[in-house]
Amino acid sequence: MKRLFYSALLAIGFLFTVTSCTEEQDFGQIDDLNITPTISSGLFYFESDEETINSAGPNTSFYYDEVTFEVFSEDYVAEHLLEGTIIYEIENTTSKPLRITIEFLNVDGRVLDAETFTIEADPSGILTREVFYGLGGKNLDILANTTGLRMSAGNLGDGTSVSSTDDPKIIFRSGGEFLFELQ
Amino acid sequence: MRIVQKLILVVLLSSVNGFAQNKELLYDFYEIPQSLMINPGVKTAQNWHAGIPVISGISVQGATSGVTVNDLFANDGIDFTTKVQERLLDVMKDKDDFSSTSQIEGFTVGFRGRNRPDDYYSFGMYGEMDVISYWPKDLAILAFEGNGGSNIGRSFDLGDLNIRGEMVNVFHFGINRKVGPDLTLGARAKIYSSIFQFQSINNSGSFVTTQGSNNIYESSINADMELQTSGVKGFYDIVEEDTDTTRKDVTDLFTERVLLGGNLGLGLDFGFSYELNPQTTITGSVLDLGFIYNSKDVWNYTFSGSTTTDGISVFLPDDIDDVDNNLWQELIDEIDEALPHGENQSSYISWRPVKVYGSIRYDFGEGGRPLLENCGCAVNTVRGNNRDYYRNSIGGQLFMMKRPKGVQAALTAFYQRRFGRTVSLKTTYTIDKYSMTNIGLGANFQMGPVNFYVLADNLLSYSNVADSHYASLQFGFNIISWNNN
Repeated sequence: MKRLFYSALLAIGFLFTVTSCTEEQDFGQIDDLNITPTISSGLFYFESDEETINSAGPNTSFYYDEVTFEVFSEDYVAEHLLEGTIIYEIENTTSKPLRITIEFLNVDGRVLDAETFTIEADPSGILTREVFYGLGGKNLDILANTTGLRMSAGNLGDGTSVSSTDDPKIIFRSGGEFLFELQ
Repeated sequence: MRIVQKLILVVLLSSVNGFAQNKELLYDFYEIPQSLMINPGVKTAQNWHAGIPVISGISVQGATSGVTVNDLFANDGIDFTTKVQERLLDVMKDKDDFSSTSQIEGFTVGFRGRNRPDDYYSFGMYGEMDVISYWPKDLAILAFEGNGGSNIGRSFDLGDLNIRGEMVNVFHFGINRKVGPDLTLGARAKIYSSIFQFQSINNSGSFVTTQGSNNIYESSINADMELQTSGVKGFYDIVEEDTDTTRKDVTDLFTERVLLGGNLGLGLDFGFSYELNPQTTITGSVLDLGFIYNSKDVWNYTFSGSTTTDGISVFLPDDIDDVDNNLWQELIDEIDEALPHGENQSSYISWRPVKVYGSIRYDFGEGGRPLLENCGCAVNTVRGNNRDYYRNSIGGQLFMMKRPKGVQAALTAFYQRRFGRTVSLKTTYTIDKYSMTNIGLGANFQMGPVNFYVLADNLLSYSNVADSHYASLQFGFNIISWNNN
């Protein structure tokens, strides 16, 4: 009887081994994986002291430059970018109103988009603007086709006054939050 | 991003066959000659043994301490991305791992010394592949969620990348000696013939994006990372070349590496068995105290440095005369320069994963015919109190193994029952980081001179293997002589 018991035990044990099974698996699900990270980065920073603004004279441009900016037009970025928001912050502690314009240029130098900021003289606080690109916002192709930025800053006031604020400046900050679909 | 898909699939599938290296069923199961391989000082019973080439010892083990295949791929109608988020990203920690070990014995032979019957010599060759990958938690979150949104201010640990793997062929020779009526000692010398090895185990660094001191966002990275490989590029180059002789070239290179033509190393095993009293025995062993010196076909990849960036910056009046419109490219170049990545062929030493076993067993239930009654050896015929005479054994075992992120331990309780000299069964209950419900069953059959054994772990998981955190199977055939026949 004992022998029978142990034989049965042995058989059951090995039945475990040979009859192991698994629930139905669907490895094709991996195609449904959706990876959409949000990438944040500083973009363009500009600052100028009031002396430089004054030295350019009244009612004139004190800064103008075009720079290549191909981050959005890189093939991989352009293909996987779902939407994006560019955040601007402008802080003017000088004694004169200023105007800053940033233009998005394509490879031919054509202006695809532009943002203009007019900032009153100090105290004017911090001007913040968020520009959304994507569904419901500006066309995403603007970013995808941008290969350069044109930045200009102009003085809308006089060329002599100096703010009583310590170290008066115009500061232009920009950063972006971009949603990518990697998978 | 097919690469991401493939990586996830490979990692998870490897976990199906992934195994820790604990062989708790085989340990001190001295009726099976292969128990010598995990304790050179185990009490040897046979006069001689010879493994049937290639099928004398095959073991595969797989383990995952986190997500299982079933967690992600069960056909349960739940959105796959949701499963990845909730069952992988939100749950798994950087110390969770996927590991896989497999071994196959090429040949093994053991024999008792003619002039020194207290000595049992054994030698042979086996191949082993071992891979462990810790879950790169922070890097995975960075890839899935990005550095923006709620991750602003979060420091991503680049040291989470921790992976090691190797395939090695081992030539070994061991001596097992009964040095007294109660004590058996053993040692085994090994020559490792590496087929390939890779490791990226000492990485450090971080990546963080914060509110900037100047601009809106500021990103900082500091990294000290390295992937060391040996033996990999040779195979890669052959496959990449893709000629009519690719298959043959791979086989030739593999054969050369198996037969001591690649990187070599040395190792030692030690073990003992000591009878505290006629019914109580303690054992212990240390395995793979060794290293491989990797100097051939070495390609290492490095990435190190640190930098901080907040985008393109223009400061007036300092930059008033700088009309360069390549500021973006200059920024990229600066980052590249601050974070040099390169290759080198510097030799390196890879340490074998050291394993330690210990056990205590209590034998009871006298009866039956001693297994070694006529073995012709001096080992177990000295007194009538040897444990072969007992039908039952019960005890506990401890296993520890050095892994890249620390020691991995397992605790086992076991019961063994012998049925004459024909059949012996052993059942175990093991707890470790992979499972709290690991019940194993092993059987050894002796049919004349033919020995067959099969050992299977975590039987409760066999109802759904895909949902298992741990699985292991070992089996093999030997020819054993218990006497002078």
